[in-house]
Amino acid sequence: MTPRIPLPSDAVTPWGLPDTGGMAPKIAAARRQVARVAHRAGHVDPVTTELVRIRNARHQTCYF
Amino acid sequence: MSHTWLQGLPEGETDWDRLAARWPEAADALAGLGTAPWEETDPMLLELCRLRMATLLRSPGELARRNDRARAAGLTEDRIAELPSWPTSSHFTARERACLSVAEQFVIDANGVTEAQIADVTHHLGAVGCYAFVQALSTLETFQRACLTLGVDPPPAFDRVEVAGPDATTREAP
Repeated sequence: MTPRIPLPSDAVTPWGLPDTGGMAPKIAAARRQVARVAHRAGHVDPVTTELVRIRNARHQTCYF
Repeated sequence: MSHTWLQGLPEGETDWDRLAARWPEAADALAGLGTAPWEETDPMLLELCRLRMATLLRSPGELARRNDRARAAGLTEDRIAELPSWPTSSHFTARERACLSVAEQFVIDANGVTEAQIADVTHHLGAVGCYAFVQALSTLETFQRACLTLGVDPPPAFDRVEVAGPDATTREAP
């Protein structure tokens, strides 16, 4: 998939996706914090979490 | 108190207060995420889109409140009342129409957002602005859907303004 907006650099993340970390840094940091807290809480088991993530990715036609 | 699905929560003034009292760390993290979009996007633009998304998602709690920053920037009730007519109303600029168009399609089906719609938003906001706008939309939409799903009513107003001064308080939009 080609990005629809010009990116500031050709840098990619460890997953091979465009590195957009600097484009909305406050939202990105807040998302990371939510992910950290959710991971630490461990209220949902990892199998259910992954099944929901994959199901949602298919629904959104997101094949990364 | 709207939800009955979760029993045994601590006392609190609102659903959110009770949930936050039970899971403070998660509530703090979500509050941070609810605040961030307003710091990286034009609040007037974002408020118009938040309200339009609330209409599409049928969220009366979100429709009833107003963002302080957007009001301070001049957003009026007349313009809000015109929102359903945004494609043709003279109350909205081309920039606002471009963003409202993406916001609507984002709620209906994100896969349906076209190259042309993103190009239009990028024309008005620039690449970084477009990226931040879409991230902000995503965040606000997620909150609205989550509150509707979980029956959190009224939804939390993270976009409150801290009032400076010796008697500093947090002011919430009516």
